Amino acid sequence: MPHCTPEDLGLAALREPLGPDAAEHLAGCASCTDEVGRLRRAVDVLTVPELAEPTAPVAPPPALWAGIAAATGVSSAPRPQVVAASAPPAGPVPDAPPVPLAPLPAEPVPLRPAAARPLPPEPPVAPVVPLRPRRSRLLLAAAAALVVGLGVGAGAVALSGREDEGVAVAAAQLDPLAGSDATGTASVVEREDGTRVLRVELAADAPAEGYYEAWLLTESVSGLVPLGVVRAGTEEFELPPGIDIGEYPVVDVSVEPLDGDPAHSGESVARGLLES
Amino acid sequence: MTGLLEPRTGRWSPRVGDVTTQAEPVPPGAAEPDDDEVGRRFAAGDEQALAWAYERWAARVHGMAVRAFGPGPDAEDVTQQTFVSAWTGRAGYRPDQGPLPAWLTGVCRHKIADTWAKRDRQRRAAEAAIIEAQARPTGGPQPVDAAVADRVLLLGELDRLGQPQRGIIELAFFADLTHAQISERTGLPLGTVKSHIRRTLERLRDRLEVDGAALHA
Ligand SMILES: [Zn+2]
Repeated sequence: MPHCTPEDLGLAALREPLGPDAAEHLAGCASCTDEVGRLRRAVDVLTVPELAEPTAPVAPPPALWAGIAAATGVSSAPRPQVVAASAPPAGPVPDAPPVPLAPLPAEPVPLRPAAARPLPPEPPVAPVVPLRPRRSRLLLAAAAALVVGLGVGAGAVALSGREDEGVAVAAAQLDPLAGSDATGTASVVEREDGTRVLRVELAADAPAEGYYEAWLLTESVSGLVPLGVVRAGTEEFELPPGIDIGEYPVVDVSVEPLDGDPAHSGESVARGLLES
Repeated sequence: MTGLLEPRTGRWSPRVGDVTTQAEPVPPGAAEPDDDEVGRRFAAGDEQALAWAYERWAARVHGMAVRAFGPGPDAEDVTQQTFVSAWTGRAGYRPDQGPLPAWLTGVCRHKIADTWAKRDRQRRAAEAAIIEAQARPTGGPQPVDAAVADRVLLLGELDRLGQPQRGIIELAFFADLTHAQISERTGLPLGTVKSHIRRTLERLRDRLEVDGAALHA
């Protein structure tokens, strides 16, 4: 089958289904797939719910016109009751466009919202959006820890080679961070079916409050991947498919308060660098 | 700019790109003008048409602004700026290219994207201040949110499209219609719709690849 027509590539960029032949070709053709990706960038930039066709009308506050009159100098004026009548009372919108939900972080979560779709929702009335305080603390703590901590423990754990279920492909010694006496080891084990797990063995007292959570971090701590709750003893976490442990080589264990906030608390108790 | 996104009311011509007749003077005391007449008078600089436009479409515009920013000062600024820019830029409105409310919607999109860009500048300034206050070495200037910058860029490119290309791509992007639905809505043949979509996407692709923030950040 020849390459897809340019028209089909455009429709595919808009995520319209193609005919069976074109769809089959596209699935197996790197060059057509690449072109769809290039066209789709513009689609993804603009098809955000905030820019979609207007849905629910909302009457602006009556005082708003005064600013328009002042800026334009017009002497006519709308009748406030007509403006108010143009918006039905607030209620459910029957045909609001579907709002894409942000997926749960199955893939690396950057510390700062990156240029990804959908646009992160902004707080309604905050002109300045500073770094989240919890995260900036994480950055500081992590930067300090990487200077003093990593390298000491790194590579100190001999790879045990073939494990009972799979092959250890990388390992780290987890060293305590300031104020903590938690220690442990971590290893990445590749199973026969190709999936990989992070096996964490943690020696630590239960935290006074909250729980321990395991993370993979980039070396610069610019990104992190949550893995799950760690208890003392040995725990295994399946790694998200496709994650590159060369890119996320730092195993981090934090204390997380029971506050429902999925972000890193900034309070790490142990950390180590995976080495293959 | 676009006639395609609006419900067909009044005497609006049903076909894309059809040229409407010249504005007819409304005799004093006559019934209120229909939407097309408001559009023509708006373009001609009749101040009363701005008030009419506000009566009819301010809630629609404000609804978009509230959807993007929640109720409050940001949404109110967007609505205000939309009408001020629409009035001062009315020379850019062509009644024969589409109804006024659709054009106001397009102006509102720009104001929303501009507000995102402004917030992004403030975010970077705030972060730079935090870093400076902590006297920490920085990795250089804070990164621009590429998607925010690209939205401003591409909305500008949409403004440069003529009809029916602009209306077609707006139906695909903002009304989430398939090319078959667009063909049905506009009465244009399927093949024509597909080829306009393709050419517009290629144009936007080129604009992003040449000037987009993501590649130059
Ligand atoms: Zn191909």
